[in-house]
Amino acid sequence: MTALGIAVAVMVFGVGLDEVQSRTPIDVASLGPQVGERVPAFSLPDQNGQIQTLESILGPNGAILVFHRSASW
Amino acid sequence: MELQDRLEELQAQGLGAAAISFDSEAVLAEFSERRGITFPLLSDVGSKVITEFGILNTVAIEALEKIGPGRRDPTPGRPTQDEIDARTSLDPAFEEDIGKYVTVGAAIDFHVGTPFPGTFMLDRTGRVTSRFFEEFYRERNTTANIMLKLGAGLAPIAAVEGSTAHLKFTAYPSDPYVTLGSRFSVAVAVEPNPDIHVYAPGAETMGYRVVSLNLRPVPHVRFEPVKFPESEIYYFEPLDERVPAYQRPFTLLQEVIVDATNEAEEALSQREALTLSGTFDYQACDDELCYEPVSLPVSFTLDLRLLERARYRDLRRARERAEANR
Repeated sequence: MTALGIAVAVMVFGVGLDEVQSRTPIDVASLGPQVGERVPAFSLPDQNGQIQTLESILGPNGAILVFHRSASW
Repeated sequence: MELQDRLEELQAQGLGAAAISFDSEAVLAEFSERRGITFPLLSDVGSKVITEFGILNTVAIEALEKIGPGRRDPTPGRPTQDEIDARTSLDPAFEEDIGKYVTVGAAIDFHVGTPFPGTFMLDRTGRVTSRFFEEFYRERNTTANIMLKLGAGLAPIAAVEGSTAHLKFTAYPSDPYVTLGSRFSVAVAVEPNPDIHVYAPGAETMGYRVVSLNLRPVPHVRFEPVKFPESEIYYFEPLDERVPAYQRPFTLLQEVIVDATNEAEEALSQREALTLSGTFDYQACDDELCYEPVSLPVSFTLDLRLLERARYRDLRRARERAEANR
């Protein structure tokens, strides 16, 4: 390897290391309850002011539970 | 919210439905009134439940900390020049995360308290049976796509049906309408005639043509590889060959994503429909004969609904005008 080659390799390696140290990649698939785990219990008011819980939204075969950003945008 | 359109089908399968956001009850009441929502929209003001679930959008919080508070522009949703400057001077990897998980061009503080958006499917005890979270905040699975991927039957809409000498097929999109960032599917349900088989992946190495759906490229639309169900091994005695094949009804799934980049939004903003065209291809054989490969044209037209975005843009412009006139 030439001197220039070594210099380039050091630079590339340096930049790579720097980025690794500054940001841990986010893996949304690893966040929150995973398959097989039970979700936390909750109790929240709905759009009609009725309190809903995990139990109240579950149907006989379960439920679809969506987390969304906002209804106001 | 297209979940509403699938509510009856969900209920028919014994599934409940609810959506959680950090909006106030008043915002949710207005939204459900305007959009005719009948399932519970839950108000998690303060994001306590979102946090307990472990899906609070931490990138938004981190971004606000780094960029600093007090930069809210008088126009809702719009970042100040200070904020834009602060954002562009961040570590590029962090700026990329903000674009991916928080916002491409809106103000950061708006997003603090939101979750990473996604969907959990729960069994009747509240255990997760499957989950759907995307790496780009603007992309998400349609309800129908989730149902389809889970193998739940859906009433085919806008189906292309056909039959040939070898099989019957029904090709249909999961959704009648899509928007920017929609992740949906085109399904092809195939029913081979008695004694007929078509070829599954793996058969190509033996010189057979694998059944497939080949949609032509469309700008700003991405196609995932076609998903094949499990096949069986067909034993062809004359050649002493064991070939992966389908003899019973099966369904191919082609996932499709409408890009949600600013470029895609610009390019698609004047379009009212999205047409996907291509061919359904197969080669059929029976116990004695192999027939010529067949290629059948298929085409689907879905409504493109960018209304909510247009509404938001109009609202923003109206507020901008009001500000300017003040």
